[in-house]
Amino acid sequence: MGFGDLKTPAGLQVLNDYLADKSYIEGYVPSQADVAVFEAVSGPPPADLCHALRWYNHIKSYEKEKASLPGVKKSLGKYGPSSVEDTTGSGAADAKDDDDIDLFGSDDEEESEEAKKLREERLAQYESKKAKKPAVVAKSSILLDVKPWDDETDMTKLEECVRSIQADGLVWGSSKLVPVGYGIKKLQIQCVVEDDKVGTDMLEEQITAFEDYVQSMDVAAFNKI
Amino acid sequence: MAAAAELRLLEKSLGLKPGNKYSAQGERQIPVLQTNNGPSLMGLSTIATHLVKQASKEHLLGSTAEEKAMVQQWLEFRVTRVDGHSSKEDTQTLLKDLNSYLEDKVYLAGHNITLADILLYYGLHRFIVDLTVQEKEKYLNVSRWFCHIQHYPDIRQHLSSIVFIKNRLYANSH
Repeated sequence: MGFGDLKTPAGLQVLNDYLADKSYIEGYVPSQADVAVFEAVSGPPPADLCHALRWYNHIKSYEKEKASLPGVKKSLGKYGPSSVEDTTGSGAADAKDDDDIDLFGSDDEEESEEAKKLREERLAQYESKKAKKPAVVAKSSILLDVKPWDDETDMTKLEECVRSIQADGLVWGSSKLVPVGYGIKKLQIQCVVEDDKVGTDMLEEQITAFEDYVQSMDVAAFNKI
Repeated sequence: MAAAAELRLLEKSLGLKPGNKYSAQGERQIPVLQTNNGPSLMGLSTIATHLVKQASKEHLLGSTAEEKAMVQQWLEFRVTRVDGHSSKEDTQTLLKDLNSYLEDKVYLAGHNITLADILLYYGLHRFIVDLTVQEKEKYLNVSRWFCHIQHYPDIRQHLSSIVFIKNRLYANSH
């Protein structure tokens, strides 16, 4: 940033171009930025640099209240268009500093002991926070169809056999007999299960184990609760 | 913008309480303010000047005799040339003249904002809002001044904020 050397015509030209569409160096009120640049200009700009001259005359009218203008006064190189090289401090054009900036290097190559300790502490906090989270129990409502061998099968006994299956996370609900055809009826029974503990495979295996009564079993409906 | 609406904007920017009753009179809808005591006031400049004095902000009318005269001249300019325009060519002439005048000035009169800047901002808003980017760059000094005035927090209020962006695609005419 900067205007270059404001005591030269080139610097004043930069200032003029910068102020073409602005009333002040920074913002919309006179500030310490204007004071800093004003003091760097040696005298009124020539008439052909009309924007710089307008600004100069305007800031000159604030001469008495210069110290009380808002803002913090910075070095001259901090103001102005960013494309212009700052030549305010050096003055020597021959000295070419080879500023080889390592963009990817960290300021502190060796990780300090304290930083390491802090990092581990934070990781521990994160783990404990994550573990505390209460797990939500996943449940499902299942409607099962249990089919008998024929119309002479004792459906009451069949239902007793099905309800005799007990497991942690399994609760039997209501049931009814649904006519299938030719006098045969199937048992339709509801149950609620915890997904982690009871599965449909397990239920099918246990229900079809009653070979005297059960011909087959189907899942009529499966709903997450 | 209707004169009454503009005068209400001015009241608000001056910090006055609303409550004045405005009416319009004649073919050109001259604003009229009915005061509590004394005769009613007619005309934008007259009412605006009255409001400024009522708000005890006489610095807006100029600090020196020359500045006061210039403020009055710009108020007259506002009523006759800005409000009295009728065609696109008139608008362009207006902006061209204003651009020349503002080349070496931050404000219209003196080194501080005055009533002239405020009323001209209100009057020109409907023209500036329709300018293209090229036109804004063509009238660079008007754009700079307008952008400056619209950043005063109390003045713009509900009027739309106009974007002024310097576009490198269009070469400056200078």
